[in-house]
Amino acid sequence: MKNFSFMRLSLWVYLAIFFAYLLGPLVIMSATAFNSPSFPRMTPWECLTFEWFSALFRDERILNGIWNSILVGAGTVVLSVAMGLAGALMLTQIWPKLRATYYTIIIAPILIPGVVLGISTLVFWDRINRMLGLGADSFLSNGLFLTIIGQSTFIASYCMLVLVARLQRYDIALTEAALDLGATHAQAFRKVLLPFMRPAIASAAVLAFLASFENYNTTTFTFGEYPTLTIELAQKVRYGITPAISALAFIIVVLTVFAALFNEASIRRKQLVAEARKKATVEELESGKLRLPGFLSSNAAAVALVVVACATVAVVGTASVYSPQQCIANVQEQKRLETEERIKELRRQRELRRQQQEEQGEAAPAQTAPATGSTGNNSGFGGVFAPGSLSGGSEAEPETEQEPQGNNSGFGNVFDPNALSGDGGESGSGN
Amino acid sequence: MSAGVGVDLENLWIRFGDFVAVRDANVNINGGDFFSFLGPSGCGKTTILRAVSGFLEPSDGRVLIGGNDMKGIGPNKRPTALIFQNLALFPLMKVWENITFSMEIKGASVRERRKRADELLDMIALPGQGDKLPSELSGGQRQRVAIARALCAEPDVLLLDEPLSALDLKLRQHMRTELREIQQRVGITFIYITHDQGEALTMSDSIAVMKAGVIDQIGNGKTIYNDPSTAFAASFVGENNVFRGKIKRIMGEEALIQTNRSGELVARISTANQGKMKEGDAAMMFIRPEAFALAPKGAKGTHFVTAKVNNEEFEGNVFNIFMEGDGGKELKVSIPNLGQSFEDHTGQNITLEYETKNAVIVPAGELAAE
Amino acid sequence: MPSFLKEFFKRNGTGMGSLMLGLVLFWTVGLIILPQLSMLDFSFRPNLPPPEIGGPKDVYTLENYKYLIYGPEGGSQDYNAVDLKVFFRTLVAAVCVTVFNLILCYPIAYYLAQTKGNHIRIFALMLIIPYWINEILRAFALRIIFGETGVLNNMLVGLGVFDTPFDFIRNDIALYAGLGYAYILLMIFPIYNVIESLDRNQIEAARDMGASWPMIHRRVVIPYAKPGISSGCTMVFMLSAGALAAPQILGGPSSLWFTQLIYQQFNDNSDWPQGAAYAVVLLVTCILLVLAVMRLFKVNMGDIGK
Ligand SMILES: Nc1ncnc2c1ncn2[C@@H]1O[C@H](COP(=O)(O)OP(=O)(O)OP(=O)(O)O)[C@@H](O)[C@H]1O
Ligand SMILES: [Mg+2]
Repeated sequence: MKNFSFMRLSLWVYLAIFFAYLLGPLVIMSATAFNSPSFPRMTPWECLTFEWFSALFRDERILNGIWNSILVGAGTVVLSVAMGLAGALMLTQIWPKLRATYYTIIIAPILIPGVVLGISTLVFWDRINRMLGLGADSFLSNGLFLTIIGQSTFIASYCMLVLVARLQRYDIALTEAALDLGATHAQAFRKVLLPFMRPAIASAAVLAFLASFENYNTTTFTFGEYPTLTIELAQKVRYGITPAISALAFIIVVLTVFAALFNEASIRRKQLVAEARKKATVEELESGKLRLPGFLSSNAAAVALVVVACATVAVVGTASVYSPQQCIANVQEQKRLETEERIKELRRQRELRRQQQEEQGEAAPAQTAPATGSTGNNSGFGGVFAPGSLSGGSEAEPETEQEPQGNNSGFGNVFDPNALSGDGGESGSGN
Repeated sequence: MSAGVGVDLENLWIRFGDFVAVRDANVNINGGDFFSFLGPSGCGKTTILRAVSGFLEPSDGRVLIGGNDMKGIGPNKRPTALIFQNLALFPLMKVWENITFSMEIKGASVRERRKRADELLDMIALPGQGDKLPSELSGGQRQRVAIARALCAEPDVLLLDEPLSALDLKLRQHMRTELREIQQRVGITFIYITHDQGEALTMSDSIAVMKAGVIDQIGNGKTIYNDPSTAFAASFVGENNVFRGKIKRIMGEEALIQTNRSGELVARISTANQGKMKEGDAAMMFIRPEAFALAPKGAKGTHFVTAKVNNEEFEGNVFNIFMEGDGGKELKVSIPNLGQSFEDHTGQNITLEYETKNAVIVPAGELAAE
Repeated sequence: MPSFLKEFFKRNGTGMGSLMLGLVLFWTVGLIILPQLSMLDFSFRPNLPPPEIGGPKDVYTLENYKYLIYGPEGGSQDYNAVDLKVFFRTLVAAVCVTVFNLILCYPIAYYLAQTKGNHIRIFALMLIIPYWINEILRAFALRIIFGETGVLNNMLVGLGVFDTPFDFIRNDIALYAGLGYAYILLMIFPIYNVIESLDRNQIEAARDMGASWPMIHRRVVIPYAKPGISSGCTMVFMLSAGALAAPQILGGPSSLWFTQLIYQQFNDNSDWPQGAAYAVVLLVTCILLVLAVMRLFKVNMGDIGK
């Protein structure tokens, strides 16, 4: 018995750790969207702000990226659901000898790294383009076309798997019955097979859209003139991050939770209604007096849905009247003081060093060089910059004008090895 | 209604790869007939039906409907409607939508369709059930909906693939009469498939008995039952007792057969084999259980059979006696229960007699599996 | 027309049949087979400016593959140590991530599959939600946590575990955590699917006979779940070896992922054939590795994607 409860306990601990790993990052990231520092961070908490949301909606590139993602997503959904359905239908009636080979071919794109798919798509259509003698601006080298084609290559495989699962439960005699009753093949498809497949097609379409929306590896080679949201985000994340990205993430999280809760609530409601139906007497059914359970009764998901909706409304309401100006000003003032302190300290140190230098003569240059070198790595999460992309620094500079707060210290710190560990991250991104 | 449209199969062959599913079938089905294909599982009945309805192209030979060759005409263009072995009702459509699917295809309005559905629902005795889903109906009701759906297409030929096999015995018997009534009412040709000889006999105008892709015999129920042309037909349709032997002498329509166990017996040569059998041919003689009568003990002659009784049972309408028979098969005798008294014969030898016209001789051949 | 094609069109109608066949051919040939072949072909060609393509200099060469092994011609080293190191490191790390993921996910998958109740659906939802959120954002979230001034460092320093923040990114811990994080669902789902169909009675019977939990898993559950496990492992391995976003965002400055090299060849050096050659090497190695492991554990290709 003791052993048993110990097992239960360790199970729950394990589950807790697992879900903390899974959900913790999202929660923390969401929280950073409401903190005022210009580098996304949760601690220390400075001021509650909604500014990052407006910054997000002012960001042309993000908005454009969303639009491109929707275009690509729509194209990918249509193409990959169509190909997935055709592929699944073919799988059910292909020559038995070819079946295994065929299955391997259509399942392979799931296993081929996205990078490889992107490259092969790019290379292949470029060649076709050249073979047809078309220019660099032709339809075939259009980023939208290439991205849709590239993504559909593997998303169609996912769709195929979803569709085949349902198709296996389809009785081919239904199509034959429709044909026998005078329907054309197209009519039999539309009126009998398609309605049967509709739930699976809907799942496949949602899956395809989500997969397309978040795809990076393939798209990064094919996007051309049409950077999708993911591409834009990757650019931003690599070259200086701001809480505006957290704000976007928060919005997506909330939308996702909404969708999930809504789905869950409607499933639960269907269950409840079915139960009520089953319990109801014939009389109740016939007289139409059957009282169906309310939307909220014994439906936790529905309650949660309403709560989340209310919370959202409340937050949006607060956001429109709330102004963190005072708080930010306070923090800024405090920071300015700190910075001044530090600059003073720095000056003193420099003074000190000059004195030493004067004393030691040649030792100085050797000392400063490594200090500058390490700055490149540590400040601003230099870690992400691939060695080739040293543009990080120059990209970051223009932002200095937009975000004036908290960067006074930047230049001072660069020369101070001790400061790197403390404020390095923040000042780097501010720069 | 018209006299109906006939269906003809001419030298029909259907092969799947090397496997021959139907071998040289020749059948003429008269318009307005209730025609049955009767045969054991896997003998190619469904295959024939699919060739008639157009899902299969014949490998050889022709299918004619109303005298027209159907080659190259798809199932949706043929004047046939098929009721599938598993019914194949559209699960997501309501009953009335199912029934009037063929009208939807032709672009009929919802009002017309509703009206026609109501008529058909009345006909199949399911008034007011049109708004249910097929899954909410009982097996027999679903059955009738499938029939209504097929009839709504106004086919010239209705094809039914063992439609009653999924039902329980009571319902099956009820549906038999109902189907027959419907057929008589609408007057179109029904082609019915079954492996149940009772079904075939009760409903059909004509029956084709099939064995492993070959049509053994075609005829009306009485002919098939009383005058089988092959050993298979004789043993497959109804219960029968077989006596193996050799033809000893042919005497016009009758013949004397030297049986392996029961001495020399006289029987009628089946009509289809008249003039085709010679003395010395291996032959089989069949006598139905109910064609025997008890004879005085020790009676001898060419229409008496003597054997030892293994077992007896009382079935209500008949009294069954099981005796040692030919080739390991028991010889079964059914004496109608007319209120007479039965003594127990178990373990004794008894003698039976039959009338020559009730015993048929066919060439020796394969028997139907039990 | 061959008989099976005739049969096919008879079954599906000429119009629908052609549409279906067209889509399938477009997908399999136009999107899967030809592009891969074309990439393969391309990887054997020199990097030429567009006007010279198809010209006399456009001949097959092994240059691009040689480059991966020997480095630039006349280079100072005998071998292309940098790229080769990245290549092997990527493979080893991908294997580690796969193993880590398997160990992490197997208990969860087992628990989800063998427990009944409404809370399981909630758990499943919680599992799926992170995957509706952009891959980049997931990596970004981890970067916020693992950053030098990130939550984790603040916490650890605050608790006194470290005096100075620990550089999780430079030490690649963030990267491994991020890769593991990215593919949890892909590991859980196949395993879950298989274990769900395992009859509970089998487990109970084994327990009845006195088998311990580790024993039950080793002898009953794991053999049964093998197709799911191999399917999950294959996907996680292939995807993490081919990952690009997570290494770009979470990788340390001194340690590259092989896909980043490919990316550089394409975007920074504009050397497409070289990039294609690297991509071919990555693809072929991964496939061979997966096939070898599948051989070893006796799993079929048909099990993948179930
Ligand atoms: N598409 C096919 N490919 C290959 N062989 C087939 C095909 N369809 C049927 N057969 C074979 O043809 C034979 C006849 O099949 P059919 O379906 O006509 O039998 P049936 O008489 O309807 O049997 P049942 O009473 O069991 O329905 C069977 O041996 C079957 O295996
Ligand atoms: Mg059949």
